[in-house]
Amino acid sequence: MALKAASRAAWFLCLWLVLAGADPADIPAAAAAIAAATWTSLRLLEPSTARRSVRAIGQLVLLFLYHSVVAGTDVARRALDPRLPLRPGFVAYPTRLSSGIRRNVFTTLTSLLPGTVPTGEENGQLVYHCLDVEQPVVAELAAEEAALVRALYND
Amino acid sequence: MSLLGDIITIVAVSAGAFFFLAGTVGLLRFPDTLTRLHALTKADNLGLGLVVLGLLPQAASLRDGFKLVSIWLLGLLAGATVSQLIARAARQGESAR
Repeated sequence: MALKAASRAAWFLCLWLVLAGADPADIPAAAAAIAAATWTSLRLLEPSTARRSVRAIGQLVLLFLYHSVVAGTDVARRALDPRLPLRPGFVAYPTRLSSGIRRNVFTTLTSLLPGTVPTGEENGQLVYHCLDVEQPVVAELAAEEAALVRALYND
Repeated sequence: MSLLGDIITIVAVSAGAFFFLAGTVGLLRFPDTLTRLHALTKADNLGLGLVVLGLLPQAASLRDGFKLVSIWLLGLLAGATVSQLIARAARQGESAR
């Protein structure tokens, strides 16, 4: 636990140095910010015991970047098309991730998928709003969930 | 090398500006809150990513480069989390009506 806290504090220190620079006058503010950030992160995001695979994380990052490009292009095409081709609606997705942090990580990741915005849960299913309900939304979400499980939650 | 960097900058920043423009057009043209959220989160995240990518060759130091990437990541995180909160509120408001 102490090791986890120290490693997170080190990450926040790096982030501070990158964003604010290294100025001796900033030390009190930096120390307070790093302590607060570390405490909050340990409270909200408990250290996971699941096995992580660097390769699978790399694949998830690549998939994420690819989806960002597809999603942005898709929205731009629909917005600029004079006919405004939208078939908006809701799609329920039955996830196998446990509720709480894992599900929240998944919804945050999938809010950047092409054509889907998570809008909360109903009866244990995630409810997504889609720009075009005729797209294979559920299959894409399942693929994303599989990639996330391989990367972070392979227990 | 600097010519190549300048070309990357011009291409990527122009593409980024295009996606910001498209996202704004979507914000104005899409019919309701939820569809507008799609336009803003998706197009603007890609736009910001491309602008950051385009500015990287112009970064004066490694730290400036990391700073640009951090700004993109923080923007992504903020967009991805806040859009869910707005979407949740919008759906609940819709079903309450």
